[in-house]
Amino acid sequence: MAGSTSLIARKSIRARLGRTIAIVFAVMAGVSFVAGSFVLADSLTRSFDGLIEDLVQDVDLQVRGKNAFEDESFGSDNDPPAIPIEVADQLSDVDGIAVIEPDLAARAQILNSDGEPITVTGGMFGTQYQPDTLSGVELKEGRASVGPDELVVDKATATREGFELGDPVSYSTDTGIYTAELVGTVGTPDSDSFLGTSVVALDLDTALDHFGANGLVDQINVGITDGADIDAVEAKIVAALGSEYEIVDREMLIEEFQEQIGQFISIFGTGLLIFAFVTAFVAAFIINNVFQITIGQRLRELALLRAIGASGKQVRRMISIEALGVGVAGTVFGIIAGLGVAQLIVLGFNAIGAGFPSSAPVLLPRTVIVAAIVGIGVTMLSVIVPSRRAAKIPPVAAMRPELGFAAIRSRRLVVGTVTTTIGLLMLLVGLFVSPGGTFALIILAGGGALLLFLGIASVSATIATPVTRAIGWPIAKLFKTPGKLARDNVARAPRRTSSSASALMIGVALVSAAAVFASSLRESITATLERAVSADYIVQGSAGGGPGNGGFPPIIVETLAELPEISAATPFRIANAQVDDDTKTLTAVDPEAAAQLVDFDNIAGSFDDLTAMSIAIHDEAAESADLKFGDTTTVTFQNGEVRELQVDLVFADNSFGLNWFIDLELLDEVSGDETQSDVFALAALADDVDPEVGDEAVRAAFEQFPQASVQSNAEFLQEQEDQINQLLFLIGFLLLFAIVIAVIGISITLALGVFERTREIGLLRAVGMTRRQTRRAVRWEAVIVSVFGALIGVVVGTFLGVVLSQAVPENVISDLAFSPGIVVLILIGAVFAGLAAALYPSFKASNMNVLEAIATE
Amino acid sequence: MAPPRPTGMLGHMNTDLAPPAPPTTAAAGSIDAMKIYGVGDAEVRALDGVTVSFETGKFTAIMGPSGSGKSTLLHCLAGLDSLTAGATFVGDTYLAALNDRQLTELRRTKIGFVFQAFNLIPTLTADENIRLPMMLGGETGDEAWIDQVIATVGLKDRVHHRPSELSGGQQQRVAVARALASRPDIIFADEPTGNLDSTTGAEILDFMRRAVREFGQTIVMVTHDPNAASYADRVVFVADGKIDGELVDPTSDEIFERMKRLGH
Repeated sequence: MAGSTSLIARKSIRARLGRTIAIVFAVMAGVSFVAGSFVLADSLTRSFDGLIEDLVQDVDLQVRGKNAFEDESFGSDNDPPAIPIEVADQLSDVDGIAVIEPDLAARAQILNSDGEPITVTGGMFGTQYQPDTLSGVELKEGRASVGPDELVVDKATATREGFELGDPVSYSTDTGIYTAELVGTVGTPDSDSFLGTSVVALDLDTALDHFGANGLVDQINVGITDGADIDAVEAKIVAALGSEYEIVDREMLIEEFQEQIGQFISIFGTGLLIFAFVTAFVAAFIINNVFQITIGQRLRELALLRAIGASGKQVRRMISIEALGVGVAGTVFGIIAGLGVAQLIVLGFNAIGAGFPSSAPVLLPRTVIVAAIVGIGVTMLSVIVPSRRAAKIPPVAAMRPELGFAAIRSRRLVVGTVTTTIGLLMLLVGLFVSPGGTFALIILAGGGALLLFLGIASVSATIATPVTRAIGWPIAKLFKTPGKLARDNVARAPRRTSSSASALMIGVALVSAAAVFASSLRESITATLERAVSADYIVQGSAGGGPGNGGFPPIIVETLAELPEISAATPFRIANAQVDDDTKTLTAVDPEAAAQLVDFDNIAGSFDDLTAMSIAIHDEAAESADLKFGDTTTVTFQNGEVRELQVDLVFADNSFGLNWFIDLELLDEVSGDETQSDVFALAALADDVDPEVGDEAVRAAFEQFPQASVQSNAEFLQEQEDQINQLLFLIGFLLLFAIVIAVIGISITLALGVFERTREIGLLRAVGMTRRQTRRAVRWEAVIVSVFGALIGVVVGTFLGVVLSQAVPENVISDLAFSPGIVVLILIGAVFAGLAAALYPSFKASNMNVLEAIATE
Repeated sequence: MAPPRPTGMLGHMNTDLAPPAPPTTAAAGSIDAMKIYGVGDAEVRALDGVTVSFETGKFTAIMGPSGSGKSTLLHCLAGLDSLTAGATFVGDTYLAALNDRQLTELRRTKIGFVFQAFNLIPTLTADENIRLPMMLGGETGDEAWIDQVIATVGLKDRVHHRPSELSGGQQQRVAVARALASRPDIIFADEPTGNLDSTTGAEILDFMRRAVREFGQTIVMVTHDPNAASYADRVVFVADGKIDGELVDPTSDEIFERMKRLGH
């Protein structure tokens, strides 16, 4: 019994090769993206692991400062406080130590031969480099630098900027701009680059001096003598230094780095996976649709099987076996293609300078298992409904096909509406109530969106006929009979139309949602700037930034503030601190300038009232920390300094997302000699200064500071807009896969439709329809379907975008905005998508042999 | 217009000789038509030198047993299929000289079709189906004539129905109306009553004969039913890909006798 069904299933796959290939392709596309995301994440993990192992290969122990507390939240700066270089001297008396290498990383911006700052994506930093370094930094050309007149840079940057050994190369640091002779280039053992960063490497004394380190280094690496016992050496170091410093071994360093990079990779990988699952979901639509249609076309065959004694169960099993075969094939191809997809994504990111290390793709068993679950699972799920339908075909349909589906009544509208409603509720609960944290949010919002799409796909069949007639109206007017035929053909199978349009709907909906979200974000930023900020200029670190949280040295705002044309300027400097044992991000500002530059809607007190003993809090944050105006709280900084601060300001507007403010003086006081970084800064021109004169003065002042850039509000907005557009573009790019699959789906559906209508097309050709008219009819049919899909997508997506915008905190998105331009673009894109989808089916339709077509059963 | 040389496989006919000009009274016809499928032992001569012409204003039936080549002949005459050698013509046009676009144009303007089944586009109403060839050409057609045709086939109150709402006989009447609507030079009908019961079939045949008598339409019909053939002015018999005689104004009994001799 099982043998016969599988035999028939096998034959059936072979007999419908073209269709089978199409389904396998859809499965493959979905699986390849999923597998590719995992492969990429695993490959990156492995190569980053390799990199860190290289970089600390000879470091036996590391001495570094101790944090007062660790901030567990993602992306926070947990760099330990810097330590005095003198610690190295204390170590030299310890037995069992062969090499002592003080190490530091600082901001260092390389300038190109025209004196312009170069841009890289991975950040820019300066460090010390000495021959026989303990780190895995490897000399690629020349030699290590000696003294202030020589430098070494990473080989990737030298190659890109055309620096040759012996060339003068300029770089700017917190202390000024320097020019030195390039005497060598460095890299890691496997690469010319350090993950896309640019590196200025100097000898230790020059580094301490030029980087403005104030005699402080980040850590001291130690190599022990051969045969020495590492634990014994560590104990001796502790004995020599006391407990003020932390001593870690190589394993610990590697583990810390892996944890850090793992966080990044898992977010990156999860992001990719979301798009991969969207793609798989769209593929499921196509698979479902193709099976649905082919079962309709095989009605007589299936009924005949029933008539000669096959049970409904056997028919269902036969379809399932077919699906299983297709699913397995698609999965296998998908995993293979996934290796390529991963490489492709790496290539893409490296093309924009990400500097991902090239590495052999890593295929873990986990990837294969997930790929199989997705590929086979999606195929089997897609075929549940079609196979049930097939099982219900009555045997009599073999003789009278018109009776085939008569018995199967559809409760599509009811089911669709219920599914839509449940999906919507889940989505809303997930986004607005969000019970149970991030995981529940993803399950509820993601699952809700999924059900919403399924429900709408189902419901859309009911509106397909009127809507497609409306879309087809101008086409019928414009293209006469072929246009009319196109329109009528779309309307004759509303379920099929809505099904193939829905696949496109999903991609378009996500693009539209992102568009609404982005417009609202842009609108909100503009509104915030207008409402809360009375500054004329915004200062940010140059692209890339430096180690830690990027930013720029305090000297820049200090210089700016001293300009006679500037009335007020304040940096925004971030520091982690514990407020009553809870870790908070504090922002230090110049209170007097801040009072003039920002309006945070003060409830009690004002920025003017802030002193080195004060703290300012957003009202909601104050409430959740149980603090009121006038209260005193204990604040512990990361380097262990503790202060009692009084709440001297409570404000209502946290448009910048900043809830805790302190006086800059306070932060200077607790930080001591440590290098400081400003994240951004605001400045305003004095009222009596001619804006043009002022502008010139400000920009002239920045010429000596290539590591930061100053922007007018308009320029800042433009930059934000560019970034938002870039993000939109990235989202669109990642959805491209899903959209391409949807277009292929429309093409397959259409080709199957053309196949079904062979006789009709033959007749039309016989009574005088030209090939061109035939092509045209098919082509516009595809356009109507894709525009229909895009229209629903825009409507659903706009709704989703509004919901999403409402769900994010007020300080991120306060205003709603739409971009009609993108809608128009989407609809134009849909027309072209339709034309592309029609290429093959229209060719097939117009090249039919008229006589054979008419003679077709 | 000088008739072009027929193109064909070398060896099947003397390519030095152009066929004679078509007889002026013929609406369509073939000259030494050859249609060969397969090669060597598998060679099948569906048409083996058929020379025949169909007079303007006459109702001609082509009869023959299954596999005699009668349908192939009709298809080649109608420009739906091409010959291996020889020539077919409609009016003064040799079909072999036309490219696909010109052939399509010819089918649309000079030829009408009635098939055995599946004559109508399911998404179009009866009225739209009747006007389809004109619509495809971007023309409106002769309104008065079309109204007359619709009235004659008795479909006035059914023209806005779709094919699925019409009976088999009604559907064939729509098909005949479509064939007539553009006033083609010739109508080719391929077993037009093959799927109908005898009463309904008789209606259609009667209507076709009236179209010839009253409107001067030329119709060529392929059938294997002697009764259907008896409606024709002339019956041409085909056997083994060759013309095997003809009858003028025959009765169905005469035709039946003749068919029996052909080994039907």
